[in-house]
Amino acid sequence: MKNPITAFIDKKMQRFDPIWRAENGKGGQRSRYYDKTGIAKYREWRGTKDTFYDYLAWLNNLKSMGLMVASAPLPVLKGMWEYRWMGSYLGTFAFIDRLFEGFRGPELRIAHMNMHAIVQSLTKKIALVLSNDKRLGGGPLSDRMVPMDEVLPPLFMCGFPNLIPIPLQTLPEFIICDIDQQLEPFYIDVAESFGLAADVCSRCSAETGVTFNDDFPIIGKALLSTNMPCNASEATSMFQRRRIGLPDFPVTLAMIHNEPGAHPYSTQILRDAIKFIEDEYGEVYDWDALFARARQMNEQNEIELEKWDIFKTPHSALCGIAETLYRLYSWASVNGQEDYFTKNDRKVIKIMRRCYEKRYMPFGGKTRHRAFLWGPSAVYYTDFPTWIQNCWGVSIVLNMDSTMGHNMINTEDPEEAIKDLALFSEKAVMRHHAVGGWDNVNAVWDWAKNFDCDMVLMNDNVACKGMNGVHAMMEEQARDLGFYFIFVEHDLEDCRTVSRRDMRNIVNNYMSVVVGEEPLDPTLLDFDDSEAW
Amino acid sequence: MKDLKHLIYFEDLLQEANNELVAQAVEEGKLGLGYNCYYTPEVLLNLPGCFSSRLRAPRCTSPEIATYYMTNRNCPYVRSILERAIEGGYNYLSALFGAESCAAMERMQEHFFLLNPVKNDKFFVTIIDPPMKGDQTSLDYYKAQLKLKVVDELHDRFGIDTSEEAMRQTVAEFNELCDVITEIGSFRKLENPPITGYEFHVIQLVSQVCPHYLILPYLRETLEEIRTREPEPKFPYRARIILAGSEIDDPDFTKLVESCGAMVVADRYCFGSFPSRERIEICEGETAFDAICRHYLHWNQCARFMSGDKIDQRHTELKRLVDEFRADGIVYESMKFCEFWSYEKVLASHVLQNECGVPCCTIEKEYSLGSVGQLRTRFQAFVESLEIKKIQAREVVR
Amino acid sequence: MKKKVLGIVLKLMLVLLGTFIATFTIYFFNLENKLIYYVVRPFLNKHYDSQRRDRRIV
Repeated sequence: MKNPITAFIDKKMQRFDPIWRAENGKGGQRSRYYDKTGIAKYREWRGTKDTFYDYLAWLNNLKSMGLMVASAPLPVLKGMWEYRWMGSYLGTFAFIDRLFEGFRGPELRIAHMNMHAIVQSLTKKIALVLSNDKRLGGGPLSDRMVPMDEVLPPLFMCGFPNLIPIPLQTLPEFIICDIDQQLEPFYIDVAESFGLAADVCSRCSAETGVTFNDDFPIIGKALLSTNMPCNASEATSMFQRRRIGLPDFPVTLAMIHNEPGAHPYSTQILRDAIKFIEDEYGEVYDWDALFARARQMNEQNEIELEKWDIFKTPHSALCGIAETLYRLYSWASVNGQEDYFTKNDRKVIKIMRRCYEKRYMPFGGKTRHRAFLWGPSAVYYTDFPTWIQNCWGVSIVLNMDSTMGHNMINTEDPEEAIKDLALFSEKAVMRHHAVGGWDNVNAVWDWAKNFDCDMVLMNDNVACKGMNGVHAMMEEQARDLGFYFIFVEHDLEDCRTVSRRDMRNIVNNYMSVVVGEEPLDPTLLDFDDSEAW
Repeated sequence: MKDLKHLIYFEDLLQEANNELVAQAVEEGKLGLGYNCYYTPEVLLNLPGCFSSRLRAPRCTSPEIATYYMTNRNCPYVRSILERAIEGGYNYLSALFGAESCAAMERMQEHFFLLNPVKNDKFFVTIIDPPMKGDQTSLDYYKAQLKLKVVDELHDRFGIDTSEEAMRQTVAEFNELCDVITEIGSFRKLENPPITGYEFHVIQLVSQVCPHYLILPYLRETLEEIRTREPEPKFPYRARIILAGSEIDDPDFTKLVESCGAMVVADRYCFGSFPSRERIEICEGETAFDAICRHYLHWNQCARFMSGDKIDQRHTELKRLVDEFRADGIVYESMKFCEFWSYEKVLASHVLQNECGVPCCTIEKEYSLGSVGQLRTRFQAFVESLEIKKIQAREVVR
Repeated sequence: MKKKVLGIVLKLMLVLLGTFIATFTIYFFNLENKLIYYVVRPFLNKHYDSQRRDRRIV
């Protein structure tokens, strides 16, 4: 039974609750916003308990940011002054609000737990990198850092306990493009001003722009680049290695990675990479150190597989972007290196189990469709899963990138461990199902069926030659297999080509014309957020 | 200059993938084996009983069905090839030996088994995963891929003799073809060459799209003819350039460059002779297959190579060609929507211009030569700038 | 003594309440994002735009 005091407060505050407003024809989520800006006039009233939970989560994240500044005040301030991308991190609070609009109860709780894991990790990483950035004066750990490509899973580097692998592009590009849609177009323009074609993948174009603009932190003694996930990322590495000017080793894992013949090669490439680091840093590979971290990764993957079982039901309290973004960060950037994530996973799975036992229905049971999200997402529209849930009741059950390497790593035998690592690393971000042959892409239907989805949303990066190459085949497959299927066009990191509004309109048209449904919140149907972060 | 005796015949052979000589070879019971990329060693597809056919889509101006399958945001070369396949232009093929050289290429090759456009009962497709570095690990992988997906497939499916002896014989025949083309191409080093860039482009292309054993006699005869051919009294061009870049299989493109006053003295692009017509040397104690793999990985200058040594090789090799063929500049071409060459042309033109002092012009083009007005203006301006540089250089010497 | 402790507790509670009211007001009315969006970022962007970077290919 509801507490009469909170009931009273909720009654008084309901005009600040967008869900109540949408249900009662008095507005909705978008009514809270200043036009175009993405800046809310006030935060969402989610009911007394959830609002306070959200407030405490906000304070907790504020604390992490304060700790970041306190741990390295001068480097952080210098970094903020030096790097354009650092300014974008100020949009983090607005970003979190956007992601969790409409979240209530356990789904809000889990979302914040996951998000705080990211925030506390990322703030530490920013402080660490900036306080050792040679451009800003360097630090004691500068030469113990190993800059490596963001898409190369760093788990195998845990065999060097004295070294710190740093995914180089993560801070200036990979994470921040989620937070601020206005940032990467600047870097894309820089790249194009040097003659790079406008039709190449915007992620790699942005990375190239960061390179040309001299916006990478300067760390480490040798660089690990990679061919992952695809052509443009291979190509941008050519510029990065020259500009960074360190000895480099391209970790070129097999492209057609779904064939048995690929794995011995990828295994050998990892061995070669380890040898390269041993030579350049004068370190010896420590298998026991690797095994210790691999155990963490294994546990996280075991929990992930259990989460998948719950995803298959309508009772998962972990939904949409809270699942997608967390898995992306915890897999690609952390990759078993931080205990916090294992602990967080343990807590999250407990809540998920409880919710499942109670047959909890997230989002007030308003979900109409269960969708599998396939293809690289538009990172300038990270809150797309939230929008589609709130507007159309479409729950994003699982994202392609969440299916990244989930095989277990042997923690006793180095020979077996390195083979497992090769298999694990081949199936990295934007790679497991986007690269390596038709079967990998075509697997979406089995995934969608296994997760009880009636809809597949195909993220259609207009510059992705690989996914463009299967356009009609996918459409024909969807038709034959009877799935609702939407190609959601986007330009990955360049919101000027296909805006968030354009993306929404593609979905709006399909949902209203093909599916014939009405939106849950009409204020979310068409709005302008072109000047938002 | 007097017209080459076989030039018109060669031009005719380039009008269709399934040309007269291809049809003759198939009629004689030979297996036509298609490929798209230098990563698939041409020589392996010429083992006894087979002939190689590098896929082109001549006169393909509107790949509409392929565009439906692959969108209009994808490489026009791969779309044109797929379109030609759907039209039935490659029904003479018994197999397609593909390579995952780039994502677009791989997707196009996949459509060859997804749509089954080639109406030939024997037809199958394999796609190798080619390496991106030139080190031992990459060579081992390359060998394993070629063995598994080319040599073993030929042996197991068609009973082709893939023995050491057969390979050595094939290499010897292939080297003969390379020697002929190389000698013809070397005439372009002369101050006033007895061959144009266009003519060489035609000759090089027929050597790639026709069965070697049928085209070789014509090529030998053409070589003899060029040896004694009288060049123009005065070098008729205003500049000498190297054409570098991705797929250029339309000799009219070379003709367009030359009509703007620049002779194409060397061809460093996919379908060009650098690389493709270098002799394969088999070292002592080495098998022919190992030599082929080593040779192709060494000479390959694809823009997808990532290691520093291979990236540098692309640029030093071009500088070598500039010096040997006395070129005044380089035209860097990239096919529209080509990720690799979009990047490489930015990097290479920077390296060549700023580190090697070679003037460069970078352009982007469609597969088929449609509206050439803009390109013509670019080439004319480039030729003019080269001329000005030459005049300025002479003044400095004075 | 008891009075003193009570006074401290009361003061502490007042401080906590004040902090809560201040932070909750910032939180609820989204004041930090308004400040960043309308003041801080325009200032920083102006600075970034005027920066001279070593902009080159290699």
